[in-house]
Amino acid sequence: MVTSARTPLRIDRLRALNVPQPVHVLVDDHGLPTAVTSETPDHSTTTSGEPNYRAIEEIIEIWRIDDEWWRHSLTRRYLDIVLAGGSHVIVFEDLNSGQWFLQMP
Amino acid sequence: MTTSAVLRSDFALCLWIPLFPLRCEERRHPELIHRPTALLSPHETRRLWQVSSPARRMGVRSGMTVSQAIGLCPSLSLREPDPVHYDETFSHLLLALEDMSPVIEPVELGRVFVGVDGLNGLYGGPLEQAGAVTQVVRQHGGCDRSAGPPSYRLGWARGKFLSWVAATRAKRGTVVVVPNGEHQAFLAHQPVAVLPITSDTHRRLRQLGLATLGDVARLPELAMVSQFGAEGGRAWRLATGKVADPVIGHQRPEPIVAGLDFPVPAADRAVLAHAIDTLIERGLRHPRRTGWRVHVVRLRAVLEHGVSWLTEVVLKDPSAHRDRIAAPLNTRLESSPPTGAVEHLAVEFTSFARGTDELQLFARDASSSARAGRRQALHDAAREIETRFKRPLLSHVVEVQPWSRLPERRYALIDFEP
Repeated sequence: MVTSARTPLRIDRLRALNVPQPVHVLVDDHGLPTAVTSETPDHSTTTSGEPNYRAIEEIIEIWRIDDEWWRHSLTRRYLDIVLAGGSHVIVFEDLNSGQWFLQMP
Repeated sequence: MTTSAVLRSDFALCLWIPLFPLRCEERRHPELIHRPTALLSPHETRRLWQVSSPARRMGVRSGMTVSQAIGLCPSLSLREPDPVHYDETFSHLLLALEDMSPVIEPVELGRVFVGVDGLNGLYGGPLEQAGAVTQVVRQHGGCDRSAGPPSYRLGWARGKFLSWVAATRAKRGTVVVVPNGEHQAFLAHQPVAVLPITSDTHRRLRQLGLATLGDVARLPELAMVSQFGAEGGRAWRLATGKVADPVIGHQRPEPIVAGLDFPVPAADRAVLAHAIDTLIERGLRHPRRTGWRVHVVRLRAVLEHGVSWLTEVVLKDPSAHRDRIAAPLNTRLESSPPTGAVEHLAVEFTSFARGTDELQLFARDASSSARAGRRQALHDAAREIETRFKRPLLSHVVEVQPWSRLPERRYALIDFEP
């Protein structure tokens, strides 16, 4: 999970929407993702416990965000992608930790 | 109460409950009293509307965005506004005050002038009259004693302006009385900020070095008129105490009747229920009803063979909403139906409770009323869900930083608690 750089909120009263969900991503030789685990937690693994990957049909756009360097640096590489089956999602790589996350557009 | 004579009173008791909506929330949720709390704006949920004292002490101000406020005060409790509830609470307060004096003039939520001419014989002097109002406020004013320190302030004086200024000078839970004849000495020390003038005129008065009403009163009236026009003249007369606007009570509307004849006598409940809805809607659209909510409704029917049928309902919560008025009538129709087919059906609104003009229920357009109805239905559903599942499962989306490049920071959820 991405560490929130914000002032801590009272989570019982105000809850963030569209919180990034950690996912596993397969990347090609250029570092571009080719498949991600399903965005639905129940379907993220197969019955044998292996990650249930979904192929990426198309990468629509790639951009990078460098922000909040003055307190807790946020460095992310975002990809706007279309999954096999037509789902439109956003994944990003936290370049500080190397972890991948999935979000709704 | 008379309906033809003008209801007016030269002497006024101003009751002021600052932040009335917030006080209503604290009455419903006493745990909020000592916590930094803010109500979201009814029109723009991204911004704050009313802010409690603990929150103000932490720098939170009305009009701030939610993100700014949370940044300053992470423990801030945000509440959804419930205008219908505030309006109903204020309406109950007005109804109770009408038992004390027939001359009541509400100004806004939480501020009302009570005409006190002739009440000496009933209650005694100004302090006793204020005591009687205090009792009413504690029972109906959204700020009873059990819900924390009193938040109301009272001012007793001749005329509305003077009593309002007196109320603003009163400490919480107390009354300031300005005896007749001492108004000029009282007004002289008040800041010009109490004058009901535009912000631009306030600014210009300050630039001219006029800080108190005494400073204004020492000027010739003509000087004020030449500088500020009619507004300046009015400000001068108020500052010198030369005008004392009386409290004007509104006469209650005459009963409103809406009726229809059935081409074929009707006995089917569904047909009658539909007819009741139609007649209530017609009655609510009547121009005389604007600004008033229905307190007593009567359903009359002329049956076949000349027999009649009548039922009357006193609404516990006076309402201007069709379904709320129709529900008890339909219940009566089920429990004690007419003994024959109905040839003529009429709905009569025979008694009304005052409403404020600022809220949706009393808006002139039907769409505002419909919005209020939908909101009420949503509140009812949310209450039912909370009762069944023991916790609120509904949330409300608020904009936090819609401009943020980070998607998770744009919107947030808060519990929807009716």
